[in-house]
Amino acid sequence: MIRLALPKGRNLETALAAFAAGGLDLSGLDSAAARDSRRLWHCFPELGCEVLLLKDRDLPLYVGRGVADCGIVGRDVLDEVDGDLLVPLELAGGRSRLSLIGRAGRALPGAGEQVRLATKYPRTAERFLDRQPWSAEILELSGSIELAPLVGLADFILDIVQTGSTLRAHGLAEIERVREIAPCFVVHRAAWQMRRAELAGLLGRLERAGVAA
Amino acid sequence: MKLRATLPAGVQALLFGSAARLRKLEAELSAELEARGFLEAVLPMVDYFAPYEPLLAPAARAELYRFADRDGELLALRSDFTPMLARLLAPHLAALELPLKLFYRGDVVRCPERGAQSEVEQHQIGGELLGSEGEGPALEREAALACARLLALATGGRAHLVLGFAGVLDDLLVAAVGRERAPELARAVARRERGAARLGASGPTAGTASGGAAAAGAVAVQAAIGEILDQGSPRAGEALGVRGAAALARLEELRRELARIEPTVAVTIDLAEFADFSPLAIAAATGESGGRDFRSYYDGLVLRAYLPGRARPVASGGRYDALFRKLGAQVAAVGFSIRLDALTEPRIQEELS
Repeated sequence: MIRLALPKGRNLETALAAFAAGGLDLSGLDSAAARDSRRLWHCFPELGCEVLLLKDRDLPLYVGRGVADCGIVGRDVLDEVDGDLLVPLELAGGRSRLSLIGRAGRALPGAGEQVRLATKYPRTAERFLDRQPWSAEILELSGSIELAPLVGLADFILDIVQTGSTLRAHGLAEIERVREIAPCFVVHRAAWQMRRAELAGLLGRLERAGVAA
Repeated sequence: MKLRATLPAGVQALLFGSAARLRKLEAELSAELEARGFLEAVLPMVDYFAPYEPLLAPAARAELYRFADRDGELLALRSDFTPMLARLLAPHLAALELPLKLFYRGDVVRCPERGAQSEVEQHQIGGELLGSEGEGPALEREAALACARLLALATGGRAHLVLGFAGVLDDLLVAAVGRERAPELARAVARRERGAARLGASGPTAGTASGGAAAAGAVAVQAAIGEILDQGSPRAGEALGVRGAAALARLEELRRELARIEPTVAVTIDLAEFADFSPLAIAAATGESGGRDFRSYYDGLVLRAYLPGRARPVASGGRYDALFRKLGAQVAAVGFSIRLDALTEPRIQEELS
């Protein structure tokens, strides 16, 4: 039986829709009852799988340690952790972008300038800064990132943008798009070798259903 | 001062039953290696840092714990037995009778990069085989057979052994996207990104010539990459070029022999697993590693073994003549190591039982 790790956050709906299109109907996991329930471990014996519902940030650890065979996790989270998971495909839905954000009207820092950058993604921020002519002190936050430039904690933030409406509501603007973010199907190495037929079958169904990028 | 029993992340103390299990397994596997003619080498935990600087890729060097002694000499903790043995043996090879078979057991420690989930300390047992250059294929076979036997003994036949060949995909990857982008494609194939197969369609094979021949070439390259991603190897070995096809044929022969001699160990060929173990990818790497077990010195057969319930390999190894060449010695060298600490984890013991 394949053990699948799914994120409880913004990618759950996209993941369930993709799996349903691929013939793996896990409906019920996103119902109000399921959301209210405290159950985190769901069995679908008729589908030959079980599902762990996890926080996005914890999911790579569960797959990376072999507790779950595979899972769906955002590229933003994946970029922050160990790069040893296999990523056979990205989903077409649920895409967003990681952007450099500042107060509306704020320009990019000049060459050699040092600023403060708040983010939930410090490793991605480091890689981004490596390519810039300016530098930044990285302030790692875990939430309410939009507040940081408004109250003077940081000059800029590096965060996920979906529609941009939250930014506009806070008087913030996207200054530079850093990278596209998609939900990714991840597998650990041993599962890939030992459950190849099952996983290849599932991936093939997702591709044929047109839900893979 | 308040006493605490916690240890740093990535290390563990084995007490009572765990320690006994590990030592018992270590003794069984050592006896098997001795019966196969391997002689034990006991190596130091601390060595100079300088000899490893030219031998290791940036990612492997970064894993070394380094410190200065009281005279300012830069030292390193042992992170890998193979380069240590190689640097100690290379100056004396002329005086040694080949083939030479050595085994070792003990800890290696590796400093993980930030955010990584890997273990800092690993307890390994492993073997190294050295011979004249012409003996390479025979040594590869002997190393693979010894590794499979040890895995069969240690896991009751639950291990899955994966075979590959370093650099075997290089010609195909260059045909797909050109030399400059081939390392990027190698990493994508190693991560099993299925979109990687589509890159072949826009590569040089598709674009440099006009007419049906070029288009057919591009389609064939794309199909071969797709087959490697799905099944581990292309249907037609010729897709890999002459050298690659010969390497694949040798792997097939070895796989069949392993399946016959060690029927309890599942053996497969997966060229994608080692796609970034290529001289091409390594030459282009500037500090960026491929897989977690990325070692720059493999240049022939490569292998990894997996167990149910454990995401990362429990054994790895391969041919590394290139490491000796860097040390000025012309010799065929093959080695493998097995993670004893991983095999004796309670969760894995539960899976194995």
